[in-house]
Amino acid sequence: MSKVKVRFELNGKKIETEITAYTSLSDMLRDYLGVKSVKKGCEHGECGACTVLVDGLPMTSCIVLAPQVEGKHVTTVEGLEYNPLMIDLRQAFIENGAVQCGFCTPGMLISSYALLRDNPHPTSEEVKIGIEGNICRCTGFTKIIEAILDAAERIAPE
Amino acid sequence: MRPIPKFEYHAPVTLAGALELLNELDKVKPIIGGTDLMVSMREAVCSPSHVVDLNRIPELNYIKEEEGFIKIGATTTHAQAATDPLTVGIPALHDAVSRIGSPQIRNRGTITGNIVNASPAADTACPLIVHDAEIMVQSVDGTNMLPIEELFAGPKINCLEPGELVTEIRIPKPSADSMSAYKRIGRRKAFTLSVVSAAVYIQAEDNLCIDAGVAFGSVAMTPLRVPEAEDMLRGKELTPENIREASEAVKDHVNPITDVRGTAEYRRDMCPVLMRRALQTALERMR
Repeated sequence: MSKVKVRFELNGKKIETEITAYTSLSDMLRDYLGVKSVKKGCEHGECGACTVLVDGLPMTSCIVLAPQVEGKHVTTVEGLEYNPLMIDLRQAFIENGAVQCGFCTPGMLISSYALLRDNPHPTSEEVKIGIEGNICRCTGFTKIIEAILDAAERIAPE
Repeated sequence: MRPIPKFEYHAPVTLAGALELLNELDKVKPIIGGTDLMVSMREAVCSPSHVVDLNRIPELNYIKEEEGFIKIGATTTHAQAATDPLTVGIPALHDAVSRIGSPQIRNRGTITGNIVNASPAADTACPLIVHDAEIMVQSVDGTNMLPIEELFAGPKINCLEPGELVTEIRIPKPSADSMSAYKRIGRRKAFTLSVVSAAVYIQAEDNLCIDAGVAFGSVAMTPLRVPEAEDMLRGKELTPENIREASEAVKDHVNPITDVRGTAEYRRDMCPVLMRRALQTALERMR
């Protein structure tokens, strides 16, 4: 099978690569481009561990084909390292003990980031909907929800 | 690690180009969000030789009002529909698209993909049925309009012939004296398939029902309209007694099965409950 050319922006950096079309975005990011924050859990779009931003929108990268990001901007937690919102969110996760094994954390942070970016003062119900596509198998949801609400306070205190 | 079966990838930039590819190629599948197809391919339920990506066709991404219809293009995502004022004006559909799947799925999945996969549990199917939606089916041979119910041929089976593509969904613009709602029961609240669901549409003057639409998900081989319940509401006052009577009658017209998500008995018993809840919400929204 012939390879297809994919040109896109990864964390602000231009990428041009050739890849077999039946490669998922998650595989391309991890195995070809070394972005290891993107975790492979269910590979069915259900657990959220592989969540990345595509043109700013959270998506599970295991059910996106690599050539489908042609011309798009893909962002992972690596690309948000110095982002003020992500810095507060990360700190809130640390201080609230919202990380146990850490496997869900990058995806959880991406979903929380998109949530707070679009809705700086979410209710706890809105937080639950915001992270409904991310599973924490350590079942630390309470602390994760507290951390997101805490981050909202830090970013834009009411 | 579940590998995706090998296929050739095609990314046409016009609808005409896509229809030609779908006509010429063997074992071909169109892909938009891939929220169902990618899972089927990983499970080896579906192993196409060719995949035609519709996402690069700008003319298929729209929500617009025209000729008295709200028209939704094939690549329109649930998230787009959840925030567009035109689709917000179709309350039952808005209920469905704003809570289907998860944020990640809503950003990726499309209404067209949801109905074409023809799951009896498809969340957008019943809202579209009660709003008398039509679908535009196109191929190299031409264009057909079909009532949405004709799309559903069986569980996960649609009526499309090889080479045919659903390119648009059309919903008559709801009149000011109408309202609708969609309710569902899942195993949990977040990110789950419906165990049973109901959509209702009512057009009413004061409290007198002029027209009604009633449909249920996950109670038959396909999403199911129940005309008997609609007849029982039409021309009646929407009193609690009349609503209860029409809702209870639904039990005789659904034919659910028992599966991992729920039993047939439970699904049957929940139909009147969901129909009452949906009607109540629709009536509250009318006020």
